[in-house]
Amino acid sequence: MFLEIDQLTMQFGGLVAVNNVSINIKKGEIHGLIGPNGSGKTTIFNVLSGYYKPTGGKVSFEGRVISDLPAHQITAAGFARTFQSMRLFKSMTVLENLLVGMGHHAKVGLFQEIFDPVAVHREEQKFIEKAMELLDLLEVADFANELATSLPYGHQRRVEMARALATDPKVILLDEPAAGLNEIETESLRKTLTKIRDLGVTIFLVEHDMKLVMGICEIISVLDYGKKIAEGTGPAIRKNPVVIEAYLGKEDDQ
Amino acid sequence: MKNKSSILKWIFIGAVVCLLLVFPAIAKSRYQVHIVNNIGIWILLSLGLNIAMGYGGQFNLALGALWGVGAYTAALLQTRLGVPFWINLPLSIISAAIMAAFVGLPSFKVRSHYLAIVTIGLGEVINLFLVNQDELTGGALGINRIKPPSLFGFPINTDERFYYLILIMVILGYLIGRQIVSHRIGRAFRALRDDFQAARAMGVNTGYYQILAFAISGAYAGAAGALFAQWNSYISPDIFEFKSALIVLTMILVGGIGNLPGSVVGTVLLLVLNEYLRVFERWQLVGYGIAIIVVVLFLPGGVVQLAGKFEDFRQRWLARLTKGKSNVEEQRNVP
Repeated sequence: MFLEIDQLTMQFGGLVAVNNVSINIKKGEIHGLIGPNGSGKTTIFNVLSGYYKPTGGKVSFEGRVISDLPAHQITAAGFARTFQSMRLFKSMTVLENLLVGMGHHAKVGLFQEIFDPVAVHREEQKFIEKAMELLDLLEVADFANELATSLPYGHQRRVEMARALATDPKVILLDEPAAGLNEIETESLRKTLTKIRDLGVTIFLVEHDMKLVMGICEIISVLDYGKKIAEGTGPAIRKNPVVIEAYLGKEDDQ
Repeated sequence: MKNKSSILKWIFIGAVVCLLLVFPAIAKSRYQVHIVNNIGIWILLSLGLNIAMGYGGQFNLALGALWGVGAYTAALLQTRLGVPFWINLPLSIISAAIMAAFVGLPSFKVRSHYLAIVTIGLGEVINLFLVNQDELTGGALGINRIKPPSLFGFPINTDERFYYLILIMVILGYLIGRQIVSHRIGRAFRALRDDFQAARAMGVNTGYYQILAFAISGAYAGAAGALFAQWNSYISPDIFEFKSALIVLTMILVGGIGNLPGSVVGTVLLLVLNEYLRVFERWQLVGYGIAIIVVVLFLPGGVVQLAGKFEDFRQRWLARLTKGKSNVEEQRNVP
């Protein structure tokens, strides 16, 4: 199995945010995760990226348990993420934001980093070249030397994705990438996601924009109150009565 | 246009270097050289704190005590074992850096001003050690008769001679600092300062870089300590207290936090101002305080902000001169 979330439980005191959830993600797929607000989607992402240690269950990636690793080692294992509320480094240019993500690939050691400017410069040039390729791919290369947080919202979203890709991930976790985007921007986001998938990166997507999720995800998992209530292809999920109930409420509740 | 300004920049740097090289010859008195030497030592301290705090967001207010660790390492090695300066300098740097790494351990649990308070406490613990372990450290009396260093039998025993040693150390310290902050380490530091959680997600080993930030500031303090001990030939614990860290903090706030030239500008400004304010005697500290408040109120990014303001003014002025042809201000603001 590529990425296996196995009976994951995340409890905060008396609150069970994620309750015994198992999700399997295949290599190269675009996997959607939907559910009403507060159903535990972002909590799952935070466990996957190592911010929380699960109180039950585990996450394994390519046969190795990763849920007990520190965050930076999870990134090194091949996970990258974006955030629901964008978290670009505010003092840095677009290019510098990407270079931070590349730092953990550096082969130049600590002392060389301080005392061997030639080696540092050589490595830096390589990183810059690769970063520019990613910025090109996401169509924000023109802003490479602008302050990242000074860009329009839609562009910042792309920069955040480029920054995640800069860590050279196998899986990218996208937390509501369409939030705050207009219809045209969402359409171009859809194209971007296809491009990312074509790089060979598996996408795990939390999103509220149903049109986008249904249009692009090969498989969708649905959460409600921390439990997985359904999983399947777009059309199957759309017809699933349990899902409809979670989103709209039961008819005879009234 | 850009070429022209970079030529100007190199002319400026060249002029400053020439002035620095001949300074002892043109100084009005030996006292001036003494003051400048003192400024050099404080520049090393403020470079260290600016890297850790300005870039890395790690409040290392044990800096005064770490300065002491460097000074005592050098002084003890010299007076007890006769170790020459060239060996005890690197040993002072290493010992202060290791001590700083320990001081940095609480940064795993507490951040920003809470971390500042914890490091103040740890600094005072180190200082109390220096005062109370009198068999080792000489206690409150300190250590005197520390011999000056010598280079191939040529003793560096006057302010003029020390001037060049300190100048070389400050230039090296600045260049190394620039190398640190403008590449991977500096970006990792700024990433932790800007957004700790995002830094973790970008593969930045936050714990490692937090400790590294502390160790680097410790290394600078260690170098400053070794220089200070052998230049002053006498050290005592009362200089290596929290108030020294506070002075360095003020220097980088006034000069420009997260900005290496800011460290230099802030240190020079405060120490020179200090000399001019001496005529006011007991009002000296009041003047000092007012100067700091004025800077913090009007230039929150430090005095180095003036350079940017001057550049804006020049651009606007140029734009007015060439009105109709091009509007520089407009070009600059549209991405």
